[in-house]
Amino acid sequence: MASKVSPKGKEKAGKGSKASEERSAAKCDKEWSTWAMKKAKVITHYGFIPLIIIIGMNSEPKPQLYQLLSPV
Amino acid sequence: MGSSVTHAAAPPPPPPSPSSPPSSVGLAAALPPKQDEKAEPEKVDWLNLPCPIPFEEIQREALMSLKPELFEGLRFDFTKGLNQRFSLSHSVFMGSMEVPSQSSDTLKVPTAHYEFGANFLDPKLMLVGRVLTDGRLNARVKCDLTDNLTMKINAQLTNEPHFSQGMFNFDYKGTDFRSQLQIGNNAFYGGNYIQSVSPHLSLGTEIFWLGHQRKSGIGFAARYNTDNMVATGQVASTGIVALSYVQKVSEKVSLASDFMYNHLTQDVTSSFGYDYILRQCRLRGKIDSNGVFAAFLEERLNMGVNFILSAEVDHRKKDYKFGFGMTVGE
Repeated sequence: MASKVSPKGKEKAGKGSKASEERSAAKCDKEWSTWAMKKAKVITHYGFIPLIIIIGMNSEPKPQLYQLLSPV
Repeated sequence: MGSSVTHAAAPPPPPPSPSSPPSSVGLAAALPPKQDEKAEPEKVDWLNLPCPIPFEEIQREALMSLKPELFEGLRFDFTKGLNQRFSLSHSVFMGSMEVPSQSSDTLKVPTAHYEFGANFLDPKLMLVGRVLTDGRLNARVKCDLTDNLTMKINAQLTNEPHFSQGMFNFDYKGTDFRSQLQIGNNAFYGGNYIQSVSPHLSLGTEIFWLGHQRKSGIGFAARYNTDNMVATGQVASTGIVALSYVQKVSEKVSLASDFMYNHLTQDVTSSFGYDYILRQCRLRGKIDSNGVFAAFLEERLNMGVNFILSAEVDHRKKDYKFGFGMTVGE
């Protein structure tokens, strides 16, 4: 009886550790993806308008730099 | 704007429309095919129906006539084009903005902001960005991946955490149908499909799912238009019924009316308005079943200089909004 119980207990412990590993792997993925989303949000927030300006200044016909600031 | 009525508030108002994908095949089988429309105008070429209006623009004539951008205060917009595709815009606003409140009183907050924007408009790629003095960024990207597939990205980013929103749309345009897939933050997934069933009638359907609130909904919409009138109807499982009718009375005048019923809040609103598009000005006025009168005038003073007057009067709530402004540049 005791011998029957102990392998079951060991299996359960084995499965438990695998499950917790999977859970922590999923948690890791989630943390990484949340970190990536946060960084992407910050980059977009600061970089979107400069990106449009760079793309626009390089389109044909190329506008001059002073035209960016002057009101004419 | 004018696009997604769906994504305006937390329960997106899904327009309803009966789905109709296989109907053109059935009708094509029943009717004689390949009738040339030029020779006999009564016969319809059922295999060559026109492409329908995008689903989110199904009510665009009514929205353009009945819902101008009313504002209170001073508004000044300056758009400077650097070349054909690239332009910068500066916009100043000083006045009150309405804050949505739970009670029936309107809550107005005096605000003043300066908004800087950059636009890059290419036939295949459109980038529009606007940034305000409080750090909010409005970004819109529209990219034609192929002839028929378009990707649109819409984002509002703020400095406060958890207030930012973003939405990806993938549009596919077929010969007589359009379909769209939407993915948004807060696990929002939506899709819609609209199909032309006759040269004048198109039917569409929409489905959405909100992950975080576990809400889903389905809606159906129908649009019937001729050269002089447009009638649309939308029904949604969130309990919203919206009907609209626009009649073009002449080249310069059109009249529009609109009816909305919300079953959950037992709220009924109906409005009637006119839209005068004259040579030097555009005047829109409307009256509402809530007793709200509104008018919006855009007067062209000179080439590229427009003077704007906006008025909205609500006697019941004692809310009077008057605004004036000027728009310089295209």
